[in-house]
Amino acid sequence: MIRFVDANRRLLALAGIVIFLLIPLVVENKLLIHLAILGMLYAIVASNWDLTLGYAGVFNFAHLAFFGIGAYTSGILAVKLGISPWLGIPCGAATAALASIIVSIPAIRLRGIYVALLTFACSQLVLLLLLSQHQITGGQQGLTGVPQLQIGDFRFRESKFAHFYLVGALLLCSTIFLRRLVASDFGLSLIALRDFEEYAVARGIPLARQRLLAFLFSSIFPGLAGGVYAHFLIVASPDIFGFSLATLLLSMVLVGGVATIYGPVVIGVVMTYVSELMASSAWMSDVFGVSRGPVRFMFVAVIIVLTMRFFPGGVWGLIKEYSARSRLGGATADEERA
Amino acid sequence: MTLEAIVAIIASGLVSGSLYALMASGLSLVWGTVRMFNFAHGALVMIGAYAGWYISNRGGLAKVLQPLGKSITANSEDWGLLGDLLHPLGEWILSIKGGFGLLAGVPLAIIFCGIAGYVIYMLLVKPFVGKPGADLVVIITTIAGASFLQNAVQVLFGPRYKQLDRILKGPPVEVLDTAIGLQEVLIIVLTPVSLLLLNLFLKRSKLGLAIRAVAQNDDFARLVGINVNQIYPLTFVVSSMLAGLAGLMLGGLFFILPTMGSEPLLRAFVVVVFGGLGSLPGTIIGAYVIGLIEQSSAYVFSLYWAPVVLFATLILVLIFRPRGLMGGENS
Repeated sequence: MIRFVDANRRLLALAGIVIFLLIPLVVENKLLIHLAILGMLYAIVASNWDLTLGYAGVFNFAHLAFFGIGAYTSGILAVKLGISPWLGIPCGAATAALASIIVSIPAIRLRGIYVALLTFACSQLVLLLLLSQHQITGGQQGLTGVPQLQIGDFRFRESKFAHFYLVGALLLCSTIFLRRLVASDFGLSLIALRDFEEYAVARGIPLARQRLLAFLFSSIFPGLAGGVYAHFLIVASPDIFGFSLATLLLSMVLVGGVATIYGPVVIGVVMTYVSELMASSAWMSDVFGVSRGPVRFMFVAVIIVLTMRFFPGGVWGLIKEYSARSRLGGATADEERA
Repeated sequence: MTLEAIVAIIASGLVSGSLYALMASGLSLVWGTVRMFNFAHGALVMIGAYAGWYISNRGGLAKVLQPLGKSITANSEDWGLLGDLLHPLGEWILSIKGGFGLLAGVPLAIIFCGIAGYVIYMLLVKPFVGKPGADLVVIITTIAGASFLQNAVQVLFGPRYKQLDRILKGPPVEVLDTAIGLQEVLIIVLTPVSLLLLNLFLKRSKLGLAIRAVAQNDDFARLVGINVNQIYPLTFVVSSMLAGLAGLMLGGLFFILPTMGSEPLLRAFVVVVFGGLGSLPGTIIGAYVIGLIEQSSAYVFSLYWAPVVLFATLILVLIFRPRGLMGGENS
């Protein structure tokens, strides 16, 4: 089985893309398509978070701020200045990249807990600034009236394919970019710094530069995704910076498996379905007799703790372990990784 | 700026400073000893306020017990000897229709917080102690714990706001022509007293000394026979009780909400970084400084800009003095 997978990678990838393109043709339910789009956007943010959290071993709390900055930049440019979203979305990515550099400059000098505290403070600072400038950003209510994407007279929200294919393409680009990056010398140097900092530095790896680049590379696709998110939902809301979304996305990275990229991509979509369907299914309210929103976040919290406790490698780690064990000829897990 | 304004700023700065001092000293204690950062600390503040409300208020535990009291008093005559024994209990339950009062609520809520802190330690921290990367893992698990507690409280108590009764009732105190509420005065007075007690506990009692020994060097603490595995949970319990006290004070000032702990927790982060993680005197001084900075910038700029000033301060401190203003090389 595994050998077959290895030998036919390109073929399988092609088949996967064809199946992906067929999904909106087969699936009639609009909610399921909507959730798939949302899930893929979250998967982009989660898998990019994996670059700093998993590969660089740095807890960047401000990661969701990159997503939010992308959403607000593109939204504000469109609402206040009438700039086309197709220009606004790349601008959002550029602002997110700029923000990532600003955050990383103080962050690269700190370690462990201090990085977490600093980035936490930075993301709160961004949120507070957004809330204080409510004439521009819409304050607590969020920025409403963000125009939807359109090409000529073709409006994206009226078609069930358009957003699906666009976000799918973005997720594919992001995943290829991340996988190439972590397999490159740069990615290996991040792992070296994470696992044995003193030795890696002694071997001449520039710690500050690699960390800064890791922050920068992890901010570009979330910035783009944020822009698409704002135009997809036609609103940019301060909830993006909230604890709940951060916990949900964190669960995607952890349950998927840190330092895998693929794990958060797949589990990002799955977790979105699970948590949104929990929030909207009728039996939840029958069983618990309460509003369903809080219960799903309790569920996410329990999943996170159980994953950290019993499957620190996440789902992807389990799959790897299983396939390494089931392989005949005694190939070890180490070879699998290589 | 008038004298009145200055007095008002100092008073409100001292109130916020007191709350931050209680919260941040707990965070700092845990950091200094266990080397972990408890992101569920804000949720413990919230738990303290809810527990206090549930025990003291007429709408809480007392209300839940009323049907039990009624059924005991109505049926006890049929139960023979057991009924005679239970009858006073039923009467008593009926007599406390107005709640158990703050006299019971405050200590019980603090004890409850201590238990909650123990549970948090056992479930979210202990399994990871001593493993590589544990500090990052514990950030994640305690964030998850905080999210769980917040949402669980929302499920249990509903979205309606609660409020604790005021401990002291009466007209506000006049200080230099400025009116200051009694609850505020109580907080300003009570906090230094509790911190002094904490200090006595850490400096004089055997357990407190053990906590400080572990904080200074846990290997040597082990060598002299201190059971480090017991000191870690103990530190969590003490820190959680402080959080609970802060929650009770906060609950007497503002409404009690599932998310009420998040804002003060952010301030407490600023305080511990400002004062130097793990340094208790630094943390306490830092708390009052931050409280005063926050209140005066709220007056000078606006309510919106006060937190911005605060976080900008934090970022600057982290850039130039990552170990805090008072933190030494070891903290």
